[in-house]
Amino acid sequence: MRDIFSRLGPTVERIFGKAAGSKDDAKQRLKFLLIHDQVDLTPAQLDTMKTEIMDVISKYVEIDQDAMEFSLNKEDGHIALVSSIPVRRVTAR
Amino acid sequence: MAECIVVTSGKGGVGKTTTSANLGAALALSGKKVAVVDADIGLRNLDVILGLENRIVYDLVHVIEGECKLKQALVRDKRVEGLYLLPAAQTRDKNAVGPEDMKKLVQTLKDEGMDYVIIDCPAGIEQGFKNSVAGADRAVIVTTPEVSAIRDADRIIGLVEANELPEPRLIVNRYRSNMVERGDMVNVDDILEILAVPLIGLVPDHEDVIISANRGTPAVFDEKSVVGAAYLRIADRIMGHDVPIPSFAEDTGFWSTFKRWMGMAPVREVV
Ligand SMILES: Nc1ncnc2c1ncn2[C@@H]1O[C@H](COP(=O)(O)OP(=O)(O)OP(=O)(O)O)[C@@H](O)[C@H]1O
Ligand SMILES: [Mg+2]
Repeated sequence: MRDIFSRLGPTVERIFGKAAGSKDDAKQRLKFLLIHDQVDLTPAQLDTMKTEIMDVISKYVEIDQDAMEFSLNKEDGHIALVSSIPVRRVTAR
Repeated sequence: MAECIVVTSGKGGVGKTTTSANLGAALALSGKKVAVVDADIGLRNLDVILGLENRIVYDLVHVIEGECKLKQALVRDKRVEGLYLLPAAQTRDKNAVGPEDMKKLVQTLKDEGMDYVIIDCPAGIEQGFKNSVAGADRAVIVTTPEVSAIRDADRIIGLVEANELPEPRLIVNRYRSNMVERGDMVNVDDILEILAVPLIGLVPDHEDVIISANRGTPAVFDEKSVVGAAYLRIADRIMGHDVPIPSFAEDTGFWSTFKRWMGMAPVREVV
């Protein structure tokens, strides 16, 4: 069904309410870009920071690396480094 | 032999970055090793048009100031073999770089084995322009069929020749054949008569450019795109092949108008 709509062209898709356009890509990329421009950190640098922070935390507790979140968000005009780091258990020392 | 091509225009917003991205990608699609260099220091854009903004670690100023190796700063495009981006610095002053630095940089890129180095020049005729032409072997001038753009193109052609680059080539971008037919847009022949430089490409004004910019996927990666096709031909001509320049037409019949309205048949090529 979707296929038929997309073959009929963007206008038909719009009429039938399927947002298949590129504008969501644009918006997503823009949000990301503006945040990184403001903090002047590239995604690669952010990644390095994440690794370094994880190394420090791992010295004390065992963390679930797959489930962790680490990102820069912008809310109400403020940029925050938002992170959620699930802890498995305290590392035996 | 390796060649460095500067894409310039004088007037801003006529399509230099769109051209640099598509030309670079098109040359890489033809099997060439290409570096596209964003020379717009402080206002980088080429990374976004190529969709490589997430992969930047170092930039052109880092390389010039010796903070990293050239190889570390080059972002390799994973969609096509042989395409590399050297991003501009986003938070640096545009005077951080001089013409001698750029000459050296271009030479290093050639030594790295690039077949083509494409320089996306910033608008204007100041430092950024001087830097961009410094290392170039030849120039591609982008204009649109508008009075102000053509006037600035003429000025730039003079400056390029004063910089001892050989005869520049012209790209006429954002061409609207329906307006030309109506007599409301200067046609290519008029532009060529006024500017007296050879044409290397005619690119239609088309929504593909906006969509591909939204996605970060240059139009040449889309086989169905008329804009992509135009840039593939320009790349062929850059490589020295003799490819005819088609004109573009918009059908005006009822059915075609309907289809165009549906977004299915916007522009077609007429050879
Ligand atoms: N052939 C085209 N059809 C439709 N829109 C186009 C076309 N070429 C360029 N544009 C639009 O024109 C705008 C400017 O394009 P681009 O950024 O490539 O120009 P530029 O010369 O690099 O600008 P600047 O001088 O600011 O660096 C963009 O919004 C782009 O989408
Ligand atoms: Mg530009």
